[in-house]
Amino acid sequence: MNLDKRMTLKDAVAKFIHDGDTVYYGGFQIMVPMALTHEIIRQKKKNLTTVESSTDVGGLDILVGAGCVKEIHTAWIMNWYVKAPYAIRRAFNEGKLKRYDISNFGATSAMIAGFLGVPFMPILGNIGTDMLKHNPTDLQVIKDPFTGEKITVVRAWRADVAIIHAQKADRLGNVVSYGSRGVTDEFGAMGSKRGVIVTAEEIVEPEVVRSDPDRVIVPYFKTLAVVHCPWGAHPSACRGYYGLDIRFSQYQGRYERHAELLPKFLDEWVYGCEDHAAYIKKYVNKFGQAGLDRLKPVLGFKPKLDVDYGYHDPACWKGVPMYTDDRLKAYEEALAKKGGK
Amino acid sequence: MTAASNYKLTELMTIRCAKEIKDGEVVFVGVGLPIVVAAYAMATNAPNMIMFTEGGAIRATAPLALGITVDDPALFTGADQTFGMLATMAALQRGECDVAFIGGAQIDKFGNINSSGVGDWTKPSKFTYFAGSGGANDMATSGKRVLAIMPQDAKKFVEKVDYITTPGYLSGPGEREKLGMIGGGPDCVVSTMGVYRFDKKTKEMYLAEYFPGQSVDKIKASCAWNLKVSPKVVETTAPTEEEIKVLRGIDPTGFYLG
Repeated sequence: MNLDKRMTLKDAVAKFIHDGDTVYYGGFQIMVPMALTHEIIRQKKKNLTTVESSTDVGGLDILVGAGCVKEIHTAWIMNWYVKAPYAIRRAFNEGKLKRYDISNFGATSAMIAGFLGVPFMPILGNIGTDMLKHNPTDLQVIKDPFTGEKITVVRAWRADVAIIHAQKADRLGNVVSYGSRGVTDEFGAMGSKRGVIVTAEEIVEPEVVRSDPDRVIVPYFKTLAVVHCPWGAHPSACRGYYGLDIRFSQYQGRYERHAELLPKFLDEWVYGCEDHAAYIKKYVNKFGQAGLDRLKPVLGFKPKLDVDYGYHDPACWKGVPMYTDDRLKAYEEALAKKGGK
Repeated sequence: MTAASNYKLTELMTIRCAKEIKDGEVVFVGVGLPIVVAAYAMATNAPNMIMFTEGGAIRATAPLALGITVDDPALFTGADQTFGMLATMAALQRGECDVAFIGGAQIDKFGNINSSGVGDWTKPSKFTYFAGSGGANDMATSGKRVLAIMPQDAKKFVEKVDYITTPGYLSGPGEREKLGMIGGGPDCVVSTMGVYRFDKKTKEMYLAEYFPGQSVDKIKASCAWNLKVSPKVVETTAPTEEEIKVLRGIDPTGFYLG
């Protein structure tokens, strides 16, 4: 296997995200694909539709604020550290953004339907609410063909392309994620039509990934691009690598709040940085190495279960006679005499 | 057990709310204050509580650190299962969650919750978006009973919410049943002023307890409809020094409690 899907952030976005695409936006309150968000803004992609269940730290808020998005399907969006989705609020007020609301499990079920390749999925929530009333694009109530009762169904979400951040990936495109990995990355990513762009904290050898394949959430055949990108989820957290940068999220959020100020943030932290490494360098210059050091996680929680993915070789049956006993033999012989089987 | 002399109303709200959780119950914990309440309940009156998080961790033990987000790594470290939201939400739909524990921005007299926004949604220029449902809708639809926690003022406690994100009793008795909801609906609301329950017949929220320093009149003034008051309304017991100490150990920087 000579595949090598590694490329730069710039190339991955230029090659695989097109104006007008529907994008699965990975992560949840942690593992937000921020480096990819910045690059999409840098390349001034337009008219994107996003699907996700919930997303924090204002990643999607600045993507909307930068004018890249025309439509969002979501259960929950904000920058929790300033308690609002300011740019999204403004874009909606100005009629520049269509918003389709649904519950978290509604969104997750929409992506599970996409993952399964079926057109819709029944769910128990959303009925009786204004989400159902205002979002017939995603939610409908139908008759359960088995019981005749009413049941809410959610339309399958199948993005054109998925963007996610993970702890590790290999050059083939196997994506390793563990612990809290967003709500729906495995479903949103696998349900995408063209495939997945992943940023990863570390690139490891395929042999290493294959030693623990239970942790692979996206297998290589589905992956379009692998970008080695330390701090790729900053200011959101990446389990085992860094915690949430509350102070930076608040700082960014105070820019999100004001229509006049947000472009200044984008100029400095997005357009003004060649890539994500430059963004992190700027961070260190402005807020000090201590800012990054503060995000160090408490480690020492390696699995204690002794797991061995061993297998059994059926070659051991070669030459082994059939097991039998007198009772079985007598029965089979009597049956054969009668011409039975 | 001496009564604490100095505490914040958010702290009393948290401590009082935790007492609504019975030991051994499966509690589906939503974003925000419920995370602190659940950690406090596990440290005090409900050590055998089973904690389900929206991010998808299932825990028999209290988290090692305060969860800032619902999928905070701290909520996953040392969990009993971390299968993801699919597992915890599926348990809700199977009817296995005793308590759906949520916050919200606005609540009305039938316990309907709005976390989508205020204004008229059909006129985009006149609607101010909040974050959206998150998992609250799923939790309140299918949890056996709903426990809600939210700071109180007359803009938050309204006669009718601008947008129903999360169903309470909708427009009154029988509505949930008509729509086939498997959960029982709102049972208790704890605010920064008092404790509310719901009339079994009318499904309307009424005041059951008022916090020390608050009064029925003051609370009625912080409620946009003509709030009914239980004839047995009582003053909530003030927290003890010990309770405050435990709580401040859980949220040492005042991230949630101010």
